[in-house]
Amino acid sequence: MTARSSNGRPWTFYALAAFFTLFVLFLYGPMSAIFILSFQGPTGGLTFPMNGVSLHWFKALVVQQRSGDFVGSFSRSIVLAIIVLAITVVISIMAGLAFRYRFRGATAVFYMAIASLIMPGLLLGLGVGLMFQFAHVSPAWFSSALGAQLTWTLPFGLLIMFAVFSRFNRAYEEAARDLGASPWQTLRLVVLPILLPGIIGVALFGFTLSYDEFPRTLIPIGSRNTLPLEIWAMTTDVTSPALYALGTLTTAVSFAVIAVALTSIAVIQRRRARRQRDRTPGPLGDA
Amino acid sequence: MAASGHIELRSVTKRFDQTLAVDDISLTIPYGSYCCLLGPSGCGKTTILRMIAGHETPTAGDIRIGGESVVGLPPVRRGTAMMFQNYALFPHLTVLDNVAFNLKVRGVGKAERHRRAREVLAQVQLDQFADRMPAQLSGGQQQRVALSRALITEPRVLLLDEPLSALDEFLRLQMRGELRRIQRELGITFVHVTHTQLEAIAVADAVVVMEEGRIEQAASAHEIYTLPATAYVARFMGGQNVLAGTVIAVNGGAVTLVDGTGARFATPVTSTAPAKGQEIFCCIRRDRIKVEKLRAPLSSVGEATNVLAGTVHAIEYQGSYVKVTIDVPGREQFVGNLPDHAFLTAPLDIGDAVVARWATEDVHLLTGDSTRTATGVRPLPLEAQRDGVRSR
Repeated sequence: MTARSSNGRPWTFYALAAFFTLFVLFLYGPMSAIFILSFQGPTGGLTFPMNGVSLHWFKALVVQQRSGDFVGSFSRSIVLAIIVLAITVVISIMAGLAFRYRFRGATAVFYMAIASLIMPGLLLGLGVGLMFQFAHVSPAWFSSALGAQLTWTLPFGLLIMFAVFSRFNRAYEEAARDLGASPWQTLRLVVLPILLPGIIGVALFGFTLSYDEFPRTLIPIGSRNTLPLEIWAMTTDVTSPALYALGTLTTAVSFAVIAVALTSIAVIQRRRARRQRDRTPGPLGDA
Repeated sequence: MAASGHIELRSVTKRFDQTLAVDDISLTIPYGSYCCLLGPSGCGKTTILRMIAGHETPTAGDIRIGGESVVGLPPVRRGTAMMFQNYALFPHLTVLDNVAFNLKVRGVGKAERHRRAREVLAQVQLDQFADRMPAQLSGGQQQRVALSRALITEPRVLLLDEPLSALDEFLRLQMRGELRRIQRELGITFVHVTHTQLEAIAVADAVVVMEEGRIEQAASAHEIYTLPATAYVARFMGGQNVLAGTVIAVNGGAVTLVDGTGARFATPVTSTAPAKGQEIFCCIRRDRIKVEKLRAPLSSVGEATNVLAGTVHAIEYQGSYVKVTIDVPGREQFVGNLPDHAFLTAPLDIGDAVVARWATEDVHLLTGDSTRTATGVRPLPLEAQRDGVRSR
């Protein structure tokens, strides 16, 4: 091989490694800077150098000076994310179950559902805002913003459930039925527990997509902000490292949620040890 | 729940969209018998099993268990239990909870259902694995768990969908004997779906050979193997050579036929003898063939009856016998299974010119509808193709 260097690696290895290094730099560089600067001393500013190390700016967030409504927006975001999670999980499971039958218009319904993934979020948010205005209902985070966010999380949830169900062997359901389980018992005792790792995945998506949703939420949010909107407002108003402290906190929350989800999936998988080979039979079984 | 596991299929038909999976089948399986549905992939055998189980609904016809129609009833009300291909053990439940599942959905308390599940597991020597997850068990152990899970419902009919296909060869042979023993012990009806000929005749009282959604022959294992009804069954079961020809003489208990190459065969006939000029099929068991090296010139062979000359195509040692495949000019390959001592006293080699002979009384006349097979309308099953039998 002529293109190989002395230690046997092709040049593409170095090109891709360099690209990946840049990627890491752009992803984690700014985040680490914000993380470090959030521990700025009380007299420090928005940029390096660090003027001592303190938790001053984290305290400043909570005591709510001029640094925006952190506690209010944070709790709203968490509550909204949990509502979105719950609705997304329930609807996605039901839709996933329904789409296993080729009902009339299934394809059209599916494309209509996922089309919202490619619609510009800002315009969709604008539309929702206008709709509420026409209806003379004042927009709020728990109504108009909730709806706008669901247009984003539901298609994702549906797509994940499709992937989850495509690997689900229907013989489990038939076995449950054969052993005398009612449809509800089959769902509760067999289908949902087997699908649980996938369902946790949907929940994780629902929560995190809602938690940092910005474009769709911006216009129909009403008078009280969610956290991402509050941060956005603060970037123009607040000129203290409290902004960084906020960034560090919200990132920590996101990581915590992901860690909880992944840990629970890992625990479930370990409990089942190595998986059975899933050979899904065709409609005739022996076709 | 049906009191008896006597199964009756009356003109059962099943269509999937445009595909006809089961075509107007009538079949009776007596209570307490072991019945095998045998056939190649897609022949409809699994569909029949699933209709008996209540996992498919017949498009037309009636299914009766213990004398009453069960169409539309859920599986538990039929008194059936099914053992699924690959077992479908619930991966999130322990072995104990898998076996206790039926009791759980019936509302039996935890202590009681675990006690009974342990009893059932003890019967198959799996009680020490009660707290394992299914994925931690070997294939053979999983199969016994699946069996226990089905039998705890106290069924009148146990339906087994390819129960041995997920096991390795050694376990397969061991478990098929075990299944037969369990069926005898319980005295209930077993319906077992398989595509393996030797598995079917090894375990079953009655074998139903299926092809393209229809029954080719339903009879005892011995009869299916030694007295096939049609050329299809003869070829599919694999123990026979199929002979075809035109009747040229009828004399008493035997008729003589001649095939396209001029070879002459004789076959005994019982009740209705075929008429002169009629096209008939018969078969000769592979283990009744004598094969020896050709000494006389070929022309003299052509005149004799029940003699074919050819060259050895393949020799396969099978332990107690040696399978010799012979290329015969102008017809499908001919197979003789020679006892090992006979082969060893007069060994043959590939390429040898040989002559195969057999006695008329070992020939069996095929009576069923065999013309379609002979003209090659139906594709031969894989097993037959592997054995080198070709449709002309």
